[in-house]
Amino acid sequence: MEMYIDPHIHVTSRTTDDYEAMRKAGIVAIIEPAFWLGQPRTEAASFKDYFSSLVGWERFRAKQFGIVHYCTIGLNSKEANNEPLAEQVMELLPLYAGKQGVVAIGEIGYDDQTAAEDKFYRLQLELAKDMDLPVMIHTPHRDKKKGTTKSMDVSEEHGLAPNMVIVDHNNEETVKEVLDRGYWAAFTIYPHTKMGSERMVEIVKQYGPERIIVDSAADWGISDPLAVPKTAALMRKMGIPEEHIRMTCYQNALAAYAQSGQMDEMDWLKAEPIDQTKKMSGNSVLRGGQVPRVEGPSDRVEN
Amino acid sequence: MSSTNQINPISAFILSVLSEKSEEKSTVWLAQKREKILISGKEMDFFMAFSQASRYFKKNPLNLTEDQINEIQSLSPGLRIDLWDQLQLARVYLLLQYPAADAASWKNTLQKLFETGDMYEIEALYAALPIMPYAEEMVARAREGLRTNITSVFDAVALNNPYPATYFDESAWNQMVVKAIFMQRPLFKIQNAEQRANQELADIIIDFAHERWSAGRDVIPELWRFVGPFISEKNLKDIKKVVSSENKLERKAALLACSMSDFSEAKDLINEYPEIKKDIDSGHLTWELIGQETLEKALS
Repeated sequence: MEMYIDPHIHVTSRTTDDYEAMRKAGIVAIIEPAFWLGQPRTEAASFKDYFSSLVGWERFRAKQFGIVHYCTIGLNSKEANNEPLAEQVMELLPLYAGKQGVVAIGEIGYDDQTAAEDKFYRLQLELAKDMDLPVMIHTPHRDKKKGTTKSMDVSEEHGLAPNMVIVDHNNEETVKEVLDRGYWAAFTIYPHTKMGSERMVEIVKQYGPERIIVDSAADWGISDPLAVPKTAALMRKMGIPEEHIRMTCYQNALAAYAQSGQMDEMDWLKAEPIDQTKKMSGNSVLRGGQVPRVEGPSDRVEN
Repeated sequence: MSSTNQINPISAFILSVLSEKSEEKSTVWLAQKREKILISGKEMDFFMAFSQASRYFKKNPLNLTEDQINEIQSLSPGLRIDLWDQLQLARVYLLLQYPAADAASWKNTLQKLFETGDMYEIEALYAALPIMPYAEEMVARAREGLRTNITSVFDAVALNNPYPATYFDESAWNQMVVKAIFMQRPLFKIQNAEQRANQELADIIIDFAHERWSAGRDVIPELWRFVGPFISEKNLKDIKKVVSSENKLERKAALLACSMSDFSEAKDLINEYPEIKKDIDSGHLTWELIGQETLEKALS
């Protein structure tokens, strides 16, 4: 069975059906970047609880389905525009950025490319440097090309090495510059608009598999938690070499984020078997009466 | 309140274990952080060290020697450091270094540490409750730990931990045991279970069993341990039902529960099963054995 990593997915918003389908489709590890929740938070404590859930409950939830959950910690660009709140969130970040399984500072960058966004983007680049962590950059959906260039310019101004920075949400217009400048170029596959699997196949054909990463960015909006395995399947059908599929849908994400020292292939290759008997509790994932699926050693992912 | 003098030997013991088990660069880092925490007394230095311990210590088992286990048992009876891992031990060491002279500020710091902790950090904290300064004032926090649905965090409070039996009142104790039953945790790992058995708990468990049976479901055999001393006319029919179960493990558990009772009809029940009675009398059939077999069955 092929193994995939989805290095950008907001599983907090997804159901256990999604988790099951993801695992079945070969996803062994995921990265959940800290982001906004569809509506702006008004209190710093809401961020605290959100960050805590990323390193706590969600990690546990994923584990029950045989998926290893990592996360990135950061203040997203949208909510950076509430400056008094953003200041308080900045004080929380060091508490979480050093935790086990936190593989980057992210997703950070620009949304409307305001002065406040710029300020907190820069502060967080400094934090990443201090903590020796990679950075996951969210490039803006509007005025994308200029915003992407600016994100990299500012990152370089702060002295970050391009190999420590993953630039996400690329498209045909941005990919060349991102790769030429030595960055990891991540692509988010969206079901209807923006980047689709077919276009992804063409990009891999044109640019090859080096430093290219495929993700779903699935969240609370219309999105597909199986975007990575589906894109891999389409690549296979279109004759992309198996090694290129492995690099773009697994290995490159691992190489980029393992630079944190917090992500290791052994985490899933030697994972404990799934033991859903662990959580037969009322509010928990399994409700009364369901039969737990206990994965024995024979079901473990090998190699 | 636990005085600093009581904590020091434990700190020293932990440090000796860590020095023996981990790499030199890790213990050097730990000594530096200790210094920093003691000198600055700053919360943030402590929080960062507590998190970043994962960069220096692995979740490897400690493999303590028998002498070491005896030593810790004499220092803090029931504390199961032998089941902790290196990372957890390093975190608890750092915790014990944090200045605790002022109770209110110490508790405030701990509150933040719990609220911002990841799964593994929180597990380390709950397992260390018995040796925390102001341990007796941490009951509300421990009860909060029981409300989690993350099994490993629940286990850190409830299992292999002397804290609940020492500090919980009856309602907290019962809340814990009932949730452990509900989550199908290995009950034999709850320390001092028999000392804290009580009528109220036995009644709750009987009601729980009725609910499950109505739904056509089983209950874990270990729960009869908590009913045993309170078998009476009122619940005898329930015990009889379990004794006549097809499931051998359930029958054994019900009979072992009968052996804890002074009620004559419970005694009579055991006599109907001479082979099991022999195992009970000789001490071969124990709650630990029933718990182990339940675990094995769940995993097979």
